[in-house]
Amino acid sequence: MLKIEGLRKSYDGNEILKGISVDVSKGDVISIIGPSGSGKTTLLRNMTTLEQADGGHIQFADVDKDFQKLSSKDIQTIRRNVGFVFQNYNLFNNKTALQNITEGLIVARKVNKSEAKKIALEALERVGLSDRQNHYPSQLSGGQQQRVGIARAVALNPKVIFFDEPTSALDPELVGEVLKVMRDLAESGTTMVVVTHQMNFARNVSNKVIFMADGHIVEQGSPESIFEHPSEKRTQEFLTDILANV
Amino acid sequence: MENIKLIINFLGQLLPAINITLIVSVSSIVLGSLLGLGLAAAKQSESAILRVFASIYVSVIRATPSIIMIFVVYYGMPLFFSAWFHINIEGWNRMYFVIIALTLLFSAPVSEIMRSAYGSVSKGQTEAGLMVGMTPFQTFYRIVLPQAFVVALPNFANSVINLMKEGALTFTIGVVDMVAKAQMIVANNSGGYAWQTYCALALIYWVISLAIDKGVTLVEKSYQAKRKTIAA
Ligand SMILES: Nc1ncnc2c1ncn2[C@@H]1O[C@H](COP(=O)(O)OP(=O)(O)OP(=O)(O)O)[C@@H](O)[C@H]1O
Ligand SMILES: [Mg+2]
Repeated sequence: MLKIEGLRKSYDGNEILKGISVDVSKGDVISIIGPSGSGKTTLLRNMTTLEQADGGHIQFADVDKDFQKLSSKDIQTIRRNVGFVFQNYNLFNNKTALQNITEGLIVARKVNKSEAKKIALEALERVGLSDRQNHYPSQLSGGQQQRVGIARAVALNPKVIFFDEPTSALDPELVGEVLKVMRDLAESGTTMVVVTHQMNFARNVSNKVIFMADGHIVEQGSPESIFEHPSEKRTQEFLTDILANV
Repeated sequence: MENIKLIINFLGQLLPAINITLIVSVSSIVLGSLLGLGLAAAKQSESAILRVFASIYVSVIRATPSIIMIFVVYYGMPLFFSAWFHINIEGWNRMYFVIIALTLLFSAPVSEIMRSAYGSVSKGQTEAGLMVGMTPFQTFYRIVLPQAFVVALPNFANSVINLMKEGALTFTIGVVDMVAKAQMIVANNSGGYAWQTYCALALIYWVISLAIDKGVTLVEKSYQAKRKTIAA
């Protein structure tokens, strides 16, 4: 459904992504793990056209092109078919929880107002925040803000939702509520690509794990194969480190 | 008591000239804001030439005292125009020269205010707007601008008050505004009642800036009431 080949990206002459290929099928829940600085965020941002890649090919929605040849219409098509959940939530601070969700529906998708409100309320219900619909982001906890962020992405019914470390800006006691929402989404068949340091999520919720280091995909496979018998030394070291620190 | 009567009397004589002050101020505010917006955009632009040009412009303008700016425009522009475009603008209404000078002066602080207000809205919100499918313009107009506006408002009002006070130099090139009027009154009274006259003049300026302050507070309050929130 979404296929990326040979994605490259450099900043100031430093190659951060050195040819990444990812294949996402419908219903997949893919976890991307790897050390800090390995290029995970950069990968998501380039796959979703938030940044322009230096090379590589994308096949998604009606687009089948090299990244560098994407027209602004292609970019719009890609953006309208993905959802993005940010590490820092990035809610619209001048909008209520409900408006954060209806904004994209009304302005970008041209859904009429009452229909948009209905969809938004359903999305809020899914993340357990129906009673917070009229709160502004500044009146919500981090965990609640992130759940609104997830509802905002879900409401647009995208083909894939990307998550960039959705819980790493949260206080430890708020991580659980967000993970629960993500787990529910996964179980209801939402296609997700999740960058995470939550090894439990990677292991128990996803059906595929990608281990990245230094701008390469070192290893990928089922959670069992990555966590039980990693074949690469890099993967073993990383897992030993991170599991020792939990 | 006598003095109060005098001041009220002078107020009555000065107030008709207020429209000059208002026309000059409002025109310079509108034009200066537009120019300031352009400068702020130039400072963010991809082009290094534009960025450097905008920075130099802003630092030069900021270092120029208002009275000098008014004289430079009043005496310099006609020469410049006749030399370069062979157009004679010496006969222009003198008010235009003041408006041009104040527009140039006002654009510098405004560009800084707009730039920092824009910067105060996290870039992540723009990205979030793009990722829900809004165009860059929709994101700017619906998400960034309303937030930047609230941030910019108090500083903007300050600059407006400053501009109005600098506008009191309008009389120096012979435009009959309130200040010029006050000078005439004092001259007509052979230098008498000078402090009462200027006191009346000060009162007018005082009321105008108070009104601006109040207006800003009201707008901010209504914004906060709408958001029912204190800080982001
Ligand atoms: N806009 C940028 N300009 C220059 N360098 C950048 C930029 N964005 C990322 N980098 C660099 O790219 C590398 C990869 O960054 P990235 O944020 O993708 O890592 P990450 O895997 O997401 O790390 P983390 O787990 O800490 O979030 C880092 O060395 C970073 O300094
Ligand atoms: Mg990251």
